[in-house]
Order: sequence, then C-alpha cells, then structure tokens
Amino acid sequence: MNKKRDRLQIIHDILEAIRQRNGSIKPTHILYKSNLSPQMLTEYLAELVDKGFVMESKRGTGKVYSLTPKGFLYLRKYQLVLDFTETFGLN
Amino acid sequence: MIPLHMGHFIIMPSWFYGFNVLFEIIFTIITLVVGLYALKVYKISDQPSSKFFGIAFLFISAAYLVRSAVNLVLMLTTEASGGTSSSGFIHYTSLIGIYLHIALFIIGLSTFAYMTLKINNMRVLSLLLAILILAIIFSSNTLFMYYLLSSLLLFYITIYYLDNYFQSRQYKTLLALIAFVFLLFGKIHFIFALNHGTYYAIGYFLEFAAYGLLLTNVMRVIRNNEQEKRPATDHP
Repeated sequence: MNKKRDRLQIIHDILEAIRQRNGSIKPTHILYKSNLSPQMLTEYLAELVDKGFVMESKRGTGKVYSLTPKGFLYLRKYQLVLDFTETFGLN
Repeated sequence: MIPLHMGHFIIMPSWFYGFNVLFEIIFTIITLVVGLYALKVYKISDQPSSKFFGIAFLFISAAYLVRSAVNLVLMLTTEASGGTSSSGFIHYTSLIGIYLHIALFIIGLSTFAYMTLKINNMRVLSLLLAILILAIIFSSNTLFMYYLLSSLLLFYITIYYLDNYFQSRQYKTLLALIAFVFLLFGKIHFIFALNHGTYYAIGYFLEFAAYGLLLTNVMRVIRNNEQEKRPATDHP
C-alpha cells in the first residue's frame, strides 16, 4: 500500500468516524478523527454528500452528518474496493 | 497455412483452425467478468477510474464476442458447404465483423488508456477516439494500422502498470503488470502475423496467458472478500 494516505483511505476514515458516533456527528469531531485540514474536510464532505455516502442535516445552529446505506456499504466492502483498486492501479 | 475468414488478410496455421474461436469465446467471458466486477466496485466506491476500467473491459468483451461469433458463423458455413460457400457472403460478413471488432476494441483500449492518463476531461477521450478511428479507416492497410495503434495504446497502458508496480511492489500488481506485458507482446505478434501465420497462433497464446492472469487477480480479490465475510471459527 502507498505510504501516503490515499483518497479511498481518507473516505474510509471519515465514514468510520461517523459510524463510531452511532451515525451522527458534528464536523469538528470528524475533523479531529480524520486528521484532515478544515479545507480538505469541507471538500470531502461536500463530495460524500453529493455522491450519497453521507447525509447532512441541521441540529440547532450547526450541521451534523450521518451515514446513508451507501456509506455503510462502503465501510463493509472497503477491503474489497481497496484490493481491487490497488491491483489494477485505479487509485 | 489457410486463410483466416475474418478479413482474408491474415494467415494462420491449419492446426490452429477452430482454436481461435475457442480462445475468443474464453477472452469474451474473462473480459466480461473483469468489466462487471470493476463496475461493481464503482457502484460501491463511486470512483470514476473503476467506471472507466469497467466500461473499457465491457467494450473489449463485446469486441471479442463479435469476432468469435463472426468466425464461428463463417467456420460453420464453410464446413456445411464443404468449402464451397458463397464468397460474397464470406466477404461481407468478414468485413462487417472485422470493422465492428476493430471499432469496439479501439473504443475499449482508448477508454482504458484515458483512465491511465488520469485526465478528467471527456473531450480528450473523444479526440483520442476520433484520431484513432480516422487513422484506421483511411489507412491503406486497415489491419496493420489497427494492430499498430492497439500496440501503441497497450504500450502506454503497460508503462502505467510498470509505474503502479514500482509504487507498491506487491505480488498482485506484478501479476497485473505481467498480464499487460503479455497483452502488448500478443498484439505485436499480430502485426507480424500479417506475413507469418505462426505469429498469429503465438499472439493468441500470449493473450490467453494475459487474460488468465487478469482473471487470477480478480478471483483472488473475490476469494479474499469471501474469507473476510466468513466468521472466525478458530477461537471459541
């Protein structure tokens, strides 16, 4: 595996952080768990919401994020995706 | 040596007659499996590279399907008529078959090469396709140009897998690299098959080895995934 944390791993870390909080988490907690810059996290979260892995909802004055079934599927099949993409250079 | 139905431009050894169709059917199935599995991975991960990889292999599979179907029909027609079947039928079926095969295979390889170039611009793919298809159509020797350009695309794809192997240095990436080296040499052998039939058979064997390795890699991924699903029973 690459020494540098690749895209798949970052997405996994974000989704795993949400899953560990019983499927609902504030962005600041994701930031802490995923070890990303705020700018990168914003971009990743926007993409994950757009692609249907994560659902964004409002709680009070802030936002919370929860996993969709597609997000749970990604976590379950992560090793398969990682293995296939590494093998065929699809990272 | 006997003439090959598809195109009448290539000669192949008489002992290989019929085996080519068998190989093409095997290639159709293997590339279909690889393509469908890549699309399954795309469905889970939403990675564009998996989508392009899957689409590329589905086009390559369709290309082999057309080629095997045409060669099978022509083989059966010739055998049923005792070698006296209408030359017009053979000619037109061969022409349609070979052009359809070439178009599908070039679309597949171009999509694959586009994925390896990591350029997120569909206009690049359309330009690449237009240049390749026009170069083949207006060439005085269609087959020669097709094999030459396919080899060129495979050369770039192989370089990509060489780089992929050196980055990870794993057994699975080595298998993928060897598979694409075999595919490249297989296509290069087809260039020489325009004059020497033995190269035609060698090309098929090299492609068989290449697709075998690709299938081995996909089966390994599937097997690993199945093992992960199975609950651990070693410990009480």
